[in-house]
This record gives sequence, structure tokens and C-alpha cells, in this order.
Amino acid sequence: MIHITQLNKVFRTELIETQALHNINLSVAEGEFVALTGPSGSGKSTLLNILGTLESYDSGDYQLDGQSVTGMTDSALSALRNEKIGFIFQSFNLIKDFSIYDNIELPLRYRGFSSAERKQRVEQALERVGLAGRRSYLPGQLSGGQQQRVAIARALAGSPRILLADEPTGNLDSLMARQVMELLEQLNREGCTILMVTHDPEQARRAGRHVQIVDGMLSDATVYQPLAARAVNQ
Amino acid sequence: MRNFSYYLKLSLHNIKRAPLPYALTLMILSIGLGVFFSNATLYYWMNRDPLPEQSPMLFFPRINSVQQACDSCLTPLRVLSYKDVQKLSNSAIPSAQAGMFQSGGYARLPNTQHGPTPVTIRVTQRDFFTLFNAPFLHGQTWADNEARMELILHYNAALKFFGRTDVLGQQLLLDGELYTIVGVLDNWQMLPKLYDVNNGLAITPVEEIYLPWETAYNLGIKSNSTTQSRDSRNYNENFAVNGREGEFYQAQFWVKLDTPAQQAAYRQFMDNLVASEKEAGRHPRPNGNLLHNMLDIAEAFNERNRQLDAFAVVSVLFLLVCLFNASHLSLNRYMASQFEFSLRRALGASRLQLQGQLLTDVLVNGMLAFVLALLFALLMLLLINQLLPATSALNNWQPSLILLMFAMALLASYLVTLYPAWRASFSPLNQQLKA
Repeated sequence: MIHITQLNKVFRTELIETQALHNINLSVAEGEFVALTGPSGSGKSTLLNILGTLESYDSGDYQLDGQSVTGMTDSALSALRNEKIGFIFQSFNLIKDFSIYDNIELPLRYRGFSSAERKQRVEQALERVGLAGRRSYLPGQLSGGQQQRVAIARALAGSPRILLADEPTGNLDSLMARQVMELLEQLNREGCTILMVTHDPEQARRAGRHVQIVDGMLSDATVYQPLAARAVNQ
Repeated sequence: MRNFSYYLKLSLHNIKRAPLPYALTLMILSIGLGVFFSNATLYYWMNRDPLPEQSPMLFFPRINSVQQACDSCLTPLRVLSYKDVQKLSNSAIPSAQAGMFQSGGYARLPNTQHGPTPVTIRVTQRDFFTLFNAPFLHGQTWADNEARMELILHYNAALKFFGRTDVLGQQLLLDGELYTIVGVLDNWQMLPKLYDVNNGLAITPVEEIYLPWETAYNLGIKSNSTTQSRDSRNYNENFAVNGREGEFYQAQFWVKLDTPAQQAAYRQFMDNLVASEKEAGRHPRPNGNLLHNMLDIAEAFNERNRQLDAFAVVSVLFLLVCLFNASHLSLNRYMASQFEFSLRRALGASRLQLQGQLLTDVLVNGMLAFVLALLFALLMLLLINQLLPATSALNNWQPSLILLMFAMALLASYLVTLYPAWRASFSPLNQQLKA
């Protein structure tokens, strides 16, 4: 699903250059649930942004679903994001004065789906995250956990190949965090590929694979737990 | 179309989201455009060619015919005498030619109790209507340039006196003289009225009544604008003789010269005329012959409205200041929406799709600004008309002018939206979407 080789990213200012990512090699197979951890400033969000094509890289190669991202035009990247990637952000990133329905419908608008198909997909996504009755609510009328479920519904509505989650429980209390994690696990069991950035070792352990990044480099101590084994443990 | 309706919905949503900053932006833009539109309206009417098909062929000849010797007097007077017109009329080169001047009087219907009404009069010759494409609704111009008690009415004058236009053969009393109506013009106007520029009357309506040239001299009718007498005759007595023979300058003279060859020939004719006059001892001043084309006439008589030019510069500068300010306010609005732009891009909107959204914003802003600007322009025009009454004839908009102003409003809206939207939509995605 994801295959990156020798990926480098440097942030440059007038005064300094910071090597944010250094020769990163990473593969994520279809159906995997990978947790990306590391201390603050280690480069995990930068890596996630690059994987989500929200940020460019300086060298190396990135293949998503067998397609090389290197050198893609802006409009091709937009289409790629729209069709293959679902984003879940720490701060939910919902448009406050749009209804839940309108928020979830947003990426589908740019996909060119008909009104009927958009409606069907939004209803399905809302059903999946357990918010079917809240379609006309505004985000501010929901709890943090519910808002994050709306964001997950928005990410799912376009049937993406992979979900990229950047600290999806970072702004939630423990109860809501647990509910969101359970939802992500359930989605993964249903076959959804997930790559999640997290600070929380407990959450990282719940993922199928745990990849650590330190000072812009992947640590050797990556832990791999096969999905089947994980299913048995549960 | 489906996208457009969505973009339109978003534009209106964005307006409702922050109505006050939006109203402020729109107001500044509309005021700038309104001032600009009001000036553009005046400028358009003042500088347009009223007879595009004919104007390159219409000329105003001037000869330096004053009988007092003056070697340094090189420029002819602004007006001609009866004799000048007579001499210039002796050429067969022009395809049409007419002497003329503006006058005024009081007219009324015979055998009525109504009091006389003031009217504007153009004393002229038969070719006047050909020269300036004045269309006849009824009747036609005079058969020749001889004196006759016949007049031609403008459409408005016919309605004013008779309540209808089909009044051929009817009679009208003008300053106590009884005239028969032989023609009624259609509802014709000429703006700017370039045949009257030397009298500073370019932005006044065309005259209501047209009188034969020779009749006016017979009856002692004089110009009510520029006149000069350069001898000691009493022009209040026996004008039929003095007006024709004396040095009484009041006339304009227009000729139609269809080709460059005719124009060159006419210049030669003028030179020959002055040479023969000099030989006869009747042209003591230097040869100062001038032949002005109609489109150069305002410059030639130094009658270009400098106030309007100055106002044009000021209104353009004011528009620039308004654009700058509106752009600044717009920048704040769009920067506040930067998160949403980034989110839309992250979720798959291409830059082209965002540009579609921005262009819809431009269209909505442009249309609202256009309507408001028209209102401001109307108020400005009324104010200008109060301050400069002579501009009242310019207070109207043609479809082409309205279209031009609409395009201008869209352009201004585009300029105001362009940079802020570009800043907002092209910012790094990851920064806006991070917690």
C-alpha cells in the first residue's frame, strides 16, 4: 500500500537547515494498522504529512497504492488525496458553521459524485460511526469524541485506501479516546489500512505494528505484531 | 453548473459568516467605483464622437479677416462675419456647408391666450441637417438659402406647442413674427454638440427652433452667445444692412469635405481667397487660415473641460486608494478563512476548483459592488449637476456604458479578491491543519 525509500526532508530558514527526515524506508501493507511514535520534533508528523501529500520531500521515492507520488502535479495530488487518503486530525478540523452532513459531504463534492450518491455515502459513514441521528447538528453541539467520529466519517465517506490519523485522540479525555480507538480498531478489522501518529504508548500497543521515529530516523526497534496474532490475543 | 451553485452557496455563506467586514469592503469598493463611474459618465459624453460616420469629413474654416491691420495678430477670431460666410460659401468643393449661430426668443401659437414661451433658436442654412445628420420626422429642409418665413421645429418643440408632431403647415409666432412650419425633426440630440464648441455650448441640448439664415439677418436676429463688432456701426439699427456689411462677427461655418483631396483643395481655396482679398486691400492681417476638423474643435478653441480632466485624475487616484483599502480588508477576511481553504485542499479540492470558488466570490462581489456603485454614481452626478449645471445633459447611461461599468466592477472585484485569495489558498497546507 505504502512504500517509501530513502526519503529525506530538510526544513530551511535563512539561518539554519534542519534535517527533519533522514533516509526513511517504510512499507505498509494493505490492511495493516501501524502506529508511528516518537518524541516531539522527531519528525513523525512531517512523515505523516508527506504520506498524506500535504507536504513535499527533498529526495527519495514514495509510492502509494503502486503509484509514484514523486513529481506529481498539484491537481494530480489533489485527486490522489481525494480518492485514496482519508485524514483524521488531532483537532478534528471540522468547519464550525457547517452541519455534520455538510462536513462529511465536503470531500465528496470535489470527487464529482451525484447528489444521490453523496447522500448515500454520507448516511453510510454516519451509520458506521454511530451518529446517524446527528446529521443536521453543528460540530459545536457535539462532544469532542463525537466530533472526532464525524471527522472519521468524513475520512471514510470517500472509501479511501488508507486512513492517516495524526494523534486522533490527542484532544480527547480517556473515555472518548478509548471510544475513538475502538472505532479505528473496528475499521481496521473490516480491512481498512491505518497509519496513526501517537504519543501514547498504550495506543501504540493497540496497533498492529509500532514504528518509532527519533531525530528524523526510523528506530531499529520497530515492533511487529501480525494481525492474526493480535486477533488471537484479543 | 452544479459546482457553480455550490460555489454560490459558499460565497453567500462566507458573507453571512462575517457580514460587517464584508459590508465594509463592499462599501469602500462601491464608493471608489461610484466616483469613478460618475466621472466616466461625464468623460464618456464629453469625449465621444457624436457622428462617427461623418465627423472625419466635417470642418470649421476660420479666416483672419478683421479689417484693422495688426501684423502680430495671427489667429482668426472665434466667430465669422456675414461676409466671411458669404465668401467661404462661394466654393463648390464642400458637399454640404452652412453658416449658423445660436439665438433665443419667445414663441407662442397665434390666436391663443397662452403667453409666449422662451425657446432656443438655431439660425442656419439648408445644409445644416445634412451636415449633422439631423433626421426629419415630417417635412424637409428649406428649398434654398433664401429668406423665407418658414421654420423647422425640433420634436420636443412640436410636442411643447402642439402636443403632436404632425404640424406641417401650422403657424407659430416667434418674437412677433408669424412663421409657417415646413419641417419637424425627429427626437434628435447631439452630445457633445460639437458645432457649438466655440461658444462653450458643447453640452447643451440641440435647439428647439431652426430659422433661415437670411431671414434672421433681415429681422435683426443676433447671436445670444459669442459676438464681436470691430467697427463703429450701430448694430441695434438697420441690422439687415449693418449686420451683413459691417464687421459684426457672430457666425459659425461648417463644411463637409468628403475626401483628403477635397480637404487639400479647400485649404487651397482658402489661401486663394485670402490672397485675392489682400490684392483687393480687404485683408490687412496676416494669412491665419485654419481648418479644424470636428474632432479637434474643442482643443482648437481651448474649450476642453480641464475641470473634468482634473476630476478624472482625482477619481482614478481615489479608486486606487479604495481598491487598496478594500484589498486590505479582503485580505483579512480571506486570511481568516485560510484554515478552510487548506482543509478543502487537503480533502481533495484542486487549485482549479478553489479558483472556481474564488471567481464566484468575484462575480458576487462584482455584481453587488456594481449595483451599489451605480447608486453612488447617480448621487455624485446629481451633486455635480448642482455644482456645474452645464453638465446636466450628460446625466444618463447608455447600455454600452453600463456594460463597460459592469466590466469595470468585475475587474475591481477581481483585483480586490485576487491577492488575498491567492495568499489564503496557496499557503502551506500542513501549517493550517495542525492543532
